[in-house]
Amino acid sequence: MIALPFYPLWLLEYLGGLAVIVFTILAWRQSQQLMAKDPENALWLFLNWLSMAFVIFAFSHLISHFIQDLIRFRGASRTLDMLRRLLGGVDSIVYVAIATITLFFRSMRRLYQRMEEDHHHMEETSHEILALNREMEALVMERTMSEMALGIAHGIRNPLHIIGGFSHRLLKKTNQDDPTRDWLTAIAQEAKRIEDMVERFETLAQRKSSFFAQEDLNDIVQDTLALIKPEVRAKHIFLIVELHPEPLMGRLNTHLLKVALAHLMRNAIEASNPRGTILVQTRQETHFAVLMIQDTGRGMTPDVVDKVFVPFYTTKIGGTGLGMVFVRQIVDEHRGVITLESKVGRGTTVTIRLPLRFVESPGVTEPEPPVPGALPESGRGRQE
Amino acid sequence: MLRRSAGILCGLVVLVLMAPRLVLAFEMRWEAQGSYVHQMAHVAFAIAMVFLILEIRGNELRGWPGFTSLFWACLLLVWWNLDAVVGHALDWSLLYPVILGQGLDRRLLMDDWHIWAFYVTQITHFLLPAVAFYFFYRSLKRFNREAETRLP
Repeated sequence: MIALPFYPLWLLEYLGGLAVIVFTILAWRQSQQLMAKDPENALWLFLNWLSMAFVIFAFSHLISHFIQDLIRFRGASRTLDMLRRLLGGVDSIVYVAIATITLFFRSMRRLYQRMEEDHHHMEETSHEILALNREMEALVMERTMSEMALGIAHGIRNPLHIIGGFSHRLLKKTNQDDPTRDWLTAIAQEAKRIEDMVERFETLAQRKSSFFAQEDLNDIVQDTLALIKPEVRAKHIFLIVELHPEPLMGRLNTHLLKVALAHLMRNAIEASNPRGTILVQTRQETHFAVLMIQDTGRGMTPDVVDKVFVPFYTTKIGGTGLGMVFVRQIVDEHRGVITLESKVGRGTTVTIRLPLRFVESPGVTEPEPPVPGALPESGRGRQE
Repeated sequence: MLRRSAGILCGLVVLVLMAPRLVLAFEMRWEAQGSYVHQMAHVAFAIAMVFLILEIRGNELRGWPGFTSLFWACLLLVWWNLDAVVGHALDWSLLYPVILGQGLDRRLLMDDWHIWAFYVTQITHFLLPAVAFYFFYRSLKRFNREAETRLP
């Protein structure tokens, strides 16, 4: 029968144990260097803790085996037995510590990934907001300039009418051989010239339409819904679309209205439960094109509804609190009004009224601006 | 680090000084509670390493040189822990092994599969961690080198 020697095991035990001590210390030094390079890196932090636990493991494991060998060679004593048990316990604790560090890192990495995703999302949103803001600024500037031009034209035309009218009247009353007649003729002609110039200037200012153009609100709604439908389908939400049978023509900015509608739709999707319903409806009231988005989602408390249009107010993790602010600004730029009604557990209804003063269909006259106080929950909106 | 090491050392000294005279939890017999705790600690260590392997594979980090070595280190440590569980079980249930000779010339009589299995697991128990920690050190060295150019 074979009898195998113990010494290869002992040799392996101590050489292996020493190698483990050397490698773990070297690894720990490497982890220290990594930490010095980037102390906030989650991976380096984990490796630093892990390598530290490994160093403790390397020592406790080797010493534990050494004491066991000592007991086998020289016989057990109370101190050696106590040390053996103690180091066995330390070994167990270190294993559990290693497991804890590793499992904690796994959870930490998940959080880190989530934070990175949120960070990217915030960056993207920030860029979008910046672009939107620039567009809004340009739009406001153009609108202001256009209104100023119209105001100036209106202001010039009135004195011109007086100058022109009086010069003609004076011409009628002046004798044919009066030397001042030529001067009066010149005044009347020049007044007419200026009047023509003002008229052309006014026409140009009215026709300026780089930001606003004659568009059909139904088309804008349909285009936006085509983009949003995959998100609706992904959450198994029923989408009901009721569009006004006739075109709802108005001077609208397609891009901005699409941004606003997409934002409202995403809010509705986010608030809705799977198998919930979202109703998108367009209709015509006397002077307004009306767009209504109604969901059967969780709704909002009156406190939240009150703060929906307050900049930077959000209840979403990673939200900017600017979405609804921009929606309202877009509606304001169209000289429209946005209203919101919400009940907890029942859902939210957002209604946008856009004036049809530029409408080309007959029977529509210049509307009076809507009175916010007259509408339910006026001036309130849903949170981004 | 010196402060931290000193703290750990002090903790160990306090543990030794305050240890009870009889610590039955770490009796080297199967029936003792400590042996089960130790075995479970090995299993926990192995499970944690499996999670780390899955993390490396799941996040497609294996392509990175540092993570490749870390992957192998974890795999070897899983093996070592399972081997240790089996090795301890064999060691603690080994009844009256026949040991021939004296001092360094001691030899173990390989009279059944139990003794053979014990001998083999002893070899792997001392060999595997050396290789595993070499891979661990290599992974950190690679990370250190890579950290200059790109961060994972």
